[in-house]
Amino acid sequence: MYFFLALNSLAFIIILLQLINIQLLQGRDFAERSRMNMENNIPIPAARGELYDRNFELGKKNMVVVSNRPSFNVTTVPASFRDNKKMQETVRLVSRLLKVNADVVLGEIKGRNPWERTVIKEDVDFDTVVTIATHHDKFPFIDWEDSSVRVYNHANMFAHVVGYIGVISKEEYAQLKNQGYRHYQRIGKNGIESQYDRTLRGRDGYVRRVVDVHNRVEGEEIGLEPQAGNNLVLTIDYGIQQAAYEAMENYQGAALVIKAQTGEVLAMVSRPDFDPNAIIARNNFDIIQMLTNDPKRPFLNRVIQSRFPPASTFKIITAIAALEDERWNPATSLFCGGTFTLRGFVDTVFFDYRAHGSLNLYWAIARSCSVYFYQLGLRIGPTVIFNYASHFGLDQRTGIDLPGEITGFIPSKRWKLRVFGQSWYDGDTVNLSIGQGFISVTPIEMANVVAGIVNNGVIYRPVLVREVRSPDNRTVLQRFTPQRQREIPISPSTLGIIREGMRLAVTSGTCSQLSRLPVPIAGKTGTAQTRSNRYEEASQHGWFIGYAPYDGPLEKAVIVVVFVEYGRGGAAAAVPVANKIFAKMIQLGYF
Amino acid sequence: MFGKNELYRIDFVLVASVILVVFLGILTIYSAGFDPIDKINSGLYKKQIVWFVAGFILLIMATFLNYQFLGDYSLYIYAFLLFILTVTTIFGTPIRNTRAWLNFGIFSIQPSEFMKLGLVIVLSKYLELRERDIKHMRELVIPALLTLVPVLVILMQPDFGTAAVFIPILFTMLFVGGADVSHLVSFISIAVIAIVVPMFITYREWIGAQESNFLLNFFNDPGLIAIVAGILLLAAIVTYILHFFFVHRLYRKIYIPSSVISLGLFFSIFIQKYLKLYQKRRILVFLNPDLDPHGSGYNVIQSKIAVGAGQFLGKGYLKGSQTQLGFLPEKSSDFIFSVFAEEWGFIGAVVLLALLAAIILRGVQISFESKDKFGALLGSGIVMILFFHVLINLGMVLGIMPVTGLPLPFVSYGGSNLLMSMIAVGILINIRMRKFVY
Repeated sequence: MYFFLALNSLAFIIILLQLINIQLLQGRDFAERSRMNMENNIPIPAARGELYDRNFELGKKNMVVVSNRPSFNVTTVPASFRDNKKMQETVRLVSRLLKVNADVVLGEIKGRNPWERTVIKEDVDFDTVVTIATHHDKFPFIDWEDSSVRVYNHANMFAHVVGYIGVISKEEYAQLKNQGYRHYQRIGKNGIESQYDRTLRGRDGYVRRVVDVHNRVEGEEIGLEPQAGNNLVLTIDYGIQQAAYEAMENYQGAALVIKAQTGEVLAMVSRPDFDPNAIIARNNFDIIQMLTNDPKRPFLNRVIQSRFPPASTFKIITAIAALEDERWNPATSLFCGGTFTLRGFVDTVFFDYRAHGSLNLYWAIARSCSVYFYQLGLRIGPTVIFNYASHFGLDQRTGIDLPGEITGFIPSKRWKLRVFGQSWYDGDTVNLSIGQGFISVTPIEMANVVAGIVNNGVIYRPVLVREVRSPDNRTVLQRFTPQRQREIPISPSTLGIIREGMRLAVTSGTCSQLSRLPVPIAGKTGTAQTRSNRYEEASQHGWFIGYAPYDGPLEKAVIVVVFVEYGRGGAAAAVPVANKIFAKMIQLGYF
Repeated sequence: MFGKNELYRIDFVLVASVILVVFLGILTIYSAGFDPIDKINSGLYKKQIVWFVAGFILLIMATFLNYQFLGDYSLYIYAFLLFILTVTTIFGTPIRNTRAWLNFGIFSIQPSEFMKLGLVIVLSKYLELRERDIKHMRELVIPALLTLVPVLVILMQPDFGTAAVFIPILFTMLFVGGADVSHLVSFISIAVIAIVVPMFITYREWIGAQESNFLLNFFNDPGLIAIVAGILLLAAIVTYILHFFFVHRLYRKIYIPSSVISLGLFFSIFIQKYLKLYQKRRILVFLNPDLDPHGSGYNVIQSKIAVGAGQFLGKGYLKGSQTQLGFLPEKSSDFIFSVFAEEWGFIGAVVLLALLAAIILRGVQISFESKDKFGALLGSGIVMILFFHVLINLGMVLGIMPVTGLPLPFVSYGGSNLLMSMIAVGILINIRMRKFVY
């Protein structure tokens, strides 16, 4: 009989121990799991910040570059379904209604935590949502949420500046999930959208819903109010951007307009381009695929992501090097007979596009006489030229507030020995002195070269954002201030000589087309030739770099860089583009 | 039937504990039936109150009637209940694919609940009559038959959990009745071997285990098992015959274990061969709910969450989210304790546990002090019914025992179990009241 007492007591002690274990030792975990059972947090997406052009004024009708349009997302929490089969059936049914590929949706669901909300389709119209809501029996656990669609109001025109947003990728999510990013969110993929993602995105809020086992709602409350993202006022002037974009219509290449004394980018155009509105739609891999595989590479922002020989525009650097380092007298005349023969083991003949006769440095710049610069380059040697190219930052990023900027390339004797196994030849120096051969630059770097010349050696960091404003635009949270990026030790007299030469190029030189405009412009053209097929017209890339007003107040100075790939007649294509841009700026009252 | 003196001998502690536990049960059933979204109640608690009133009347009647009459009419009671049980199994209204209920329109009765009591009564009487001979193994045949017949009937309903609870009741009754412990241990061992070997094989097939060694190969080959079992059986027979001629304890030490192992192995081959795969898997899931997280495993997980989330002080009456929002299944019946533990916490759970323990230990004491063997057997049988229900139910709710669907006596919603439990308590009071009467 005592056996009984022992058996009973033992049983009750075991039960008591298990109670202690579950309720006291693990109680907190189970309480958490119980909370997870009933709480269903539904995100309230934060409105992403808008983008305006530089002429933003509070209360006025403004040029909105990027905005949002309200819409609905159809979502589901896969784990709400008790069994997988029912979930798949329902997702297939709703996919047919929404006209999306059910296999893609199911694949996405499979790859992640079933308790997390998965978006089945975005930008669903109101009628479809009503259909789902009224057939709750057919679509159990299919939910919807308020959302918004990003609208790129000027489509292709601002494509490379603003970039676009996209669903956060698995790699990005893995990296950012601890910083408040969620897998269903969008993230800036390129341009301003990417660079200023944290400023624009705001913070999603959520509704805390208490649901029962059948997902019936017992109560809801706002767990966290969403915080809208901040708005950005760009430095871009819509008018100039439009003019530059249209001027580049038939070309492949880049155009850039920058304020010399601040670094503010007034226009940035890269052609060919794309429509960000077409890219942001969900599951549109074919469009992205098509654009990615396009041999013309429309995604490339040619202003900061393409690199070409600077050609004759580089003569300015050679000239500066000679004036500074050799105390070269600009009045010294050299003879140009149309060709230049470099004496050596085998004589090499370098050509000019015409015979210029005897001319001094001013005219050599104005008429872009290559033979003059061949001789100048040989006289000062390559190292000095490398140094000045480097002073102007041709091998460094300008630090513009855009992702993915590349640098130009300045060769060196050691580099050539390493890569080609050859020493640096005089022929290389001849090529270098007119910006051909190994050297290459990005258009934005060339804009900085002009900035250095205009600003007496000071180069500012180029920027695209003027102001960060609060969601209601009433408060300016952050105002852009010009940042001096580099100060080049060059004497003002040298820069004066260069400016004079560039002015001469407009008044009676290579870009005389610009002389008809009512503002004094200074500039320099360039025709880059690729080594393989140097005389084919279509292989010539045209450059124009310049600024206006030539002798006006510094704060008004605006730099224009135009680069046209495969332009007919090289520089002949770039100058008319610059002409249109300057004309528009005159019209807008910039000078 | 009894005078004023005897009235004082009613065990008021026992009665008070029972009333308190049933009261807590009704309170909890109210909470379990409450829907916080539609603000309505399923109304089960009202039915439970009616059952309680009916049960209390039966309890009083059970105390009036001398328990020794139960012994005299034990066979008739048993036969009557078995008849009802069989009729139910054949003609009963199927509820959730089980023919366990006799429907009387406004209420229904589950005869298998009362069968437990009937079995205990008949076993008590039999064991009282055979007190002297019970050491012989042949005397165990009739109790085994008395148990197995209703068990098989209940298995045909089919109600696995209820059928299973008869077995431990039989063994504890035999133990109290004085049966040879070695016999009991042998039978248990045979059953364990017969079940464990095929389950082990099925489990390994299920989880797709690949490794092999000598022992595993042996268990996977029915031919080898049969040979080994045959050799052991032969050894058992030889030593059994020898022990008639040469009286020595050694033979007994050989033939008992070898016959046990041999029979166990034979039965295991039988089970392995004739049980369908899904049947074996069902037994496996019964033994380990974690294998089926969407089925019975889900229930256990939700139950543990409910109990655990109660923590020390509980979430408060009508505020258990696991219960109110329906995450807890079978909340009025099988998992009623989880509801209580969620809302009243560790404190409440310990109080309820103490009350249940008080009822059971009081029952043990009553059977201790019984004036006759029949009373002692009857009392301990009744205590075992209650004890195993409490143990198996709480073990299930707390995730340390298989999911059987056995109710928690006095607390779970369900008329038949409550009536049976109340009658059982009535009989206990009866035994105690008459311990001084000769």
